Amino acid sequence: MKTVEREDDDRLIKAAQSEPVRFAELYEQNFHRVYAFIARRVGSRDQAQDLTAEVFHQALASIGSFRWQGAPFISWLYGIAANVLSAHWQKFGRNPAQLCEDWDLGGSDEIERRAILAQLVESLMPDQRLVIVRRFIEQRTIREVATELGRSEGAVKQLQLRALENLRDKMGRKI
Amino acid sequence: MNRQPDADELNFHLDSYLAGKKIESGAKLHPLLTIATELRQLPHPEFKDRLKADLLEETSTITQNRGIFEQVTGAAAFAEILPNLGANDFRIFPADHRSFIVSFLSHTALIVIIASGIWAGRGTVLKSSPANPEVTYLPSTGGGGSGDHSPIQATRGTPPKMTDQQFTPPTIVVRRSDPMLSVRPTVLGPPDVKLPQSDRIGDLISSNVVIPSNGSGSGGAAGSGMETGLGDGTGLGVGPGSRFGTGGGVFRPGSGVSAPRAIYNPEPEYSEEARRVKHQGLVILSVIVDQQGRARDIHVARSLGMGLDEKAIEAVRKWKFSPGTKDGIPVAVQVNVEVSFRLY
Repeated sequence: MKTVEREDDDRLIKAAQSEPVRFAELYEQNFHRVYAFIARRVGSRDQAQDLTAEVFHQALASIGSFRWQGAPFISWLYGIAANVLSAHWQKFGRNPAQLCEDWDLGGSDEIERRAILAQLVESLMPDQRLVIVRRFIEQRTIREVATELGRSEGAVKQLQLRALENLRDKMGRKI
Repeated sequence: MNRQPDADELNFHLDSYLAGKKIESGAKLHPLLTIATELRQLPHPEFKDRLKADLLEETSTITQNRGIFEQVTGAAAFAEILPNLGANDFRIFPADHRSFIVSFLSHTALIVIIASGIWAGRGTVLKSSPANPEVTYLPSTGGGGSGDHSPIQATRGTPPKMTDQQFTPPTIVVRRSDPMLSVRPTVLGPPDVKLPQSDRIGDLISSNVVIPSNGSGSGGAAGSGMETGLGDGTGLGVGPGSRFGTGGGVFRPGSGVSAPRAIYNPEPEYSEEARRVKHQGLVILSVIVDQQGRARDIHVARSLGMGLDEKAIEAVRKWKFSPGTKDGIPVAVQVNVEVSFRLY
């Protein structure tokens, strides 16, 4: 399985190096992991989004000089993310060494779980996905979502239940 | 199967959870609430799409740059691009390495010249607004005044027209009634400025509406000020202030008004936000460069956003100019300043 992933990485990296527009595929494949890596370590969604953007901009700028050294491509992105976080923390007087400690304390499992969850949300039915985004990411009320969808509050609650059950079942299968 | 009670119960617990309360739920709902907790940590889907769009836009720049500067490595590429130096089977013309050296040096020199031009042009450019054929007046400084030491305040009236050159100062009491050459009195200022006009020349704000008087000032015209303007200023214009115009004026380059020149223009800083997404472009600021060569009344004429407008204003505020002049005298001049933000 790991070999297949690595071959896939290799193919996508070569494609991105010859045609920068193909970087989009690497982005799609790694976005949620990078975001989860950063979000776990910063206080707000806005900060996490800003720093994630910085990581991918830096990665795109350097993809031409990327050389395969045996580790998965995501490790290279984590390396950039660690540098970006380190610079961010230095501004606020926090010790960048905490990054390594956090990683050793099982942070990688949680990152993987969050990345999978984010991908599963993307795979939900459109109406279920919308309810999840509005309720938990935007923190809207059932009434607001019902108004937006033009449905009853009871129907939206049922959509919410089905969406969460779907995510639970798929997570169970993935992990 | 009616699942509404389950949906209601779950939502009840979720509402408590979203409100920051401690949740006490049964084992059945617990995994769903755990997932809900994790969902709150996810990024907004719009952010992911927006970032992807930004990156794709950036890739188009990279592709264009690659088209211009193809990376050349290896002997084969060298031979293909420089056959007379790199290929072994080149026989039509003999390879002359001196030509290569001369060519290399001349191209290097050219690149250095172009690059130095790019660096010199980096950062900031001072551009005057399109030259106005006539002096443009904007209210707030300058003005004029005069008088002939009369003990009585100048008579109320209206100022004469403004012109670029004053031949005859405005007077209320004409001392010489038989001039050799009759020229209508004027005050110095932008001719397109519309001032209240009447047949009776005088000071607009005087309380003396009866007794003809040129006022208590000096200079031979009317008012309480000096020089040959009208009013209580010290110039050839009208009203308070000095030099030209009415109540003070700001000029634009052209019609004898020279543009100010930046003599100390440190480059602006990049905002973090713009640097992060490599946002580049041009901010145009409308600036009045005063007689002391300082920028004031700075407004954004063309915005670039992402904090760069503020950075441009911050930088230009520190600039020092050689002020614009009219007839050799420093005057306040309005110009547009272009501040360029480029990442190299």
